[in-house]
Amino acid sequence: MALSTRHLLGIKDLTPADISLLLDTAKQFKEVLQRPIKKVPSLRDVTIVNLFYENSTRTRISFELAEKRLSADTINFSASGSSVSKGETLLDTVNNILSMKVDMVVMRHSASGAPHFLAKHIPASIINAGDGINEHPTQALLDAFSIIEKFGTLNGTRVAIIGDIMHSRVAQSNIYLLTKMGAEVVVCGPPTLIPKYIDQAFNVRVEYNLTKALEWCDVANVLRIQLERQNQVLFSSLREYSLVYGINKRILDSLEKKITIMHPGPINRGVELDSDVADSDQSIILQQVENGVAVRMAVLYLLAGDRNSS
Amino acid sequence: MDILLRQVRIIDPSSPFHQQQIDILIQNGKIGQIGTIDSPASKEIHIEGLHVSTGWVDVYANFCDPGLEYKETLESGAQAAAAGGYTDVMVLPNTSPVLHNKSGIEYIVQKGKSLPVTIHPIGAITKNAEGKELAEMYDMHESGAVAFSDGTNTIQSSGILLKALQYLKAIDKTVIQVPDDKAISATGLMNEGIESTRLGLPGKPAIAEELMVQRDIELAKYTNSKIHLTGISTLKSIDLIRAAKKEGIAVTCSVTPYHICFCDEDMAQYDTNLKVNPPLRTRADMEAVREGLQDGSVDCIATHHLPQDRDHKLLEFEYADYGMTGLETCFAAIHSCMPELSLEKLVMLLSSNPRRIFDLEMNSIDINAIASFTLFLPEQKWIVKKLETKSKNSPFVGKELTGKAIGIINKDKLFLNEY
Repeated sequence: MALSTRHLLGIKDLTPADISLLLDTAKQFKEVLQRPIKKVPSLRDVTIVNLFYENSTRTRISFELAEKRLSADTINFSASGSSVSKGETLLDTVNNILSMKVDMVVMRHSASGAPHFLAKHIPASIINAGDGINEHPTQALLDAFSIIEKFGTLNGTRVAIIGDIMHSRVAQSNIYLLTKMGAEVVVCGPPTLIPKYIDQAFNVRVEYNLTKALEWCDVANVLRIQLERQNQVLFSSLREYSLVYGINKRILDSLEKKITIMHPGPINRGVELDSDVADSDQSIILQQVENGVAVRMAVLYLLAGDRNSS
Repeated sequence: MDILLRQVRIIDPSSPFHQQQIDILIQNGKIGQIGTIDSPASKEIHIEGLHVSTGWVDVYANFCDPGLEYKETLESGAQAAAAGGYTDVMVLPNTSPVLHNKSGIEYIVQKGKSLPVTIHPIGAITKNAEGKELAEMYDMHESGAVAFSDGTNTIQSSGILLKALQYLKAIDKTVIQVPDDKAISATGLMNEGIESTRLGLPGKPAIAEELMVQRDIELAKYTNSKIHLTGISTLKSIDLIRAAKKEGIAVTCSVTPYHICFCDEDMAQYDTNLKVNPPLRTRADMEAVREGLQDGSVDCIATHHLPQDRDHKLLEFEYADYGMTGLETCFAAIHSCMPELSLEKLVMLLSSNPRRIFDLEMNSIDINAIASFTLFLPEQKWIVKKLETKSKNSPFVGKELTGKAIGIINKDKLFLNEY
């Protein structure tokens, strides 16, 4: 079995078979990670550059760990303190790195479509670690993996994605993945943070009322409110946001069933999630992080496999 | 110089020779004879299937000169225009410095004299095209400005636009606007819709254009002055203009070749050559633009020729500059996308309508008239390769198109392309 693509630019381009293959492979790697010796030689002699044009903690560490567990050689690059701050273009930077014989590029970038642009112009495999407000495919894969661990399947599972849908690549990739795999999706947040055409673009329902969304769902995937968006007059204040869309223990306890809480991190405690929710037994936030490594190992392994066979 | 065109088909509804396949003899820049001509001339052109019409006019092109000569110069722009079959080009004031006073306009007029194409400067409405204070438009008109516009900087303030419309009544000149409410569209990178949502790109809503169309029509009505809206791209905008014309308001409009040939569905690969403003809209909008061309709601074609050097396009979509070149492929692109649009209509959109709207010289193809023609081969298939424009930001490069402008006769000179 192999993926239908040589890059992971987004969930958009994956088939349901690709997604299943990635998730099944991730499951095997999760078992590997439980062993006393967690390292396997699969990617020996493969060189990977982690190109981070935007800040990241979790994703970057997770990718780096995944690469090391697979015995790949890794280089880390961040835009600040590099020649990017001297005005070098993305294409020049990457071509310079590739001329030192690098096989795969993991990239996070603030511009939507940046990895697609690279994929058109360079020979290496590209893995999108988040592009602008477009996609964050490995996050969606690890979210799906975590839901399956909990519920056994995605098919028919009800997922509410809550928060700033408009500026969230996590929401976008989750929507692509969940709807491809038969889950039901509701997006919930203030109308100024939900794209006008979302229910025409995807098979999702829009709900502005938080309680109704929570009553409906099995899983609430709560997004980070991006403080840097505040200057765009999209909502009045963090205080009001947390009053209307923040999830606290009181709301959770008022629901008829025990729903599962997810969050891609980093959490703004007291804004979108209260601490007693984030740290409760209904939260699987740390499992998500753990699964991230296995999922990223699966992605790297399958794409490198394609490289070896070609 | 004598030029003899052998067996050309004349497309000019104002000419008694319209639709005839005939010989034309040009002597000293004027038409000496039309008919069957036996005597030889110093230069004879006989090309199978050659058509001739009155010279085409582009009403909205950026030649980037002065100031941005690495993208285009008046010389390279004029070469591109001639290659695309244009005898006349109206150039935008968005240069560096902005064409907002007499000396700016005179620079264009002076440099234009030696070029194969007739260059008509558009003067800025406001100083530095900043939309704040009126520029010296009467003075610019005296120096040769044919119309006024802040070009790519749409005037946002209703108050300023109202005053500009009133002010220009004294010299009976037209304001050109690209309708775009920047308070709504500022953060967008493409049309807001299903496609932008799927691509994860911030959208410019159609209503940002439509509100401005509505406002500008009302201002034209109130001031009883003339406005030309260009780059019209949505179904609703076309409807609004159609209705305003019925009401007798002095509004005219033009559309770009790219809004005729592309829609937002074509942007799935984040192709920066398709990053334009106004953005490519939905398929339904594209159909409405085409319908507007057929039913006369749209008056002319404006290329919105906007050259960008490679370094400003070979970038992440968000960072790439807006615009595409259009002069050399305009006729071919439209004729290929809309073969159902008759040549007669196309010539009206490219030549007689813009000449009427902007009071440019109109020369019918008739004996003793000044020879200012476009030569074209409607059935010629060709692959877009070599372009005369300095910048190559065109999505048509490498594509096969049907219909080719092969040159012009203008200012007593023949300019002939490879064909």
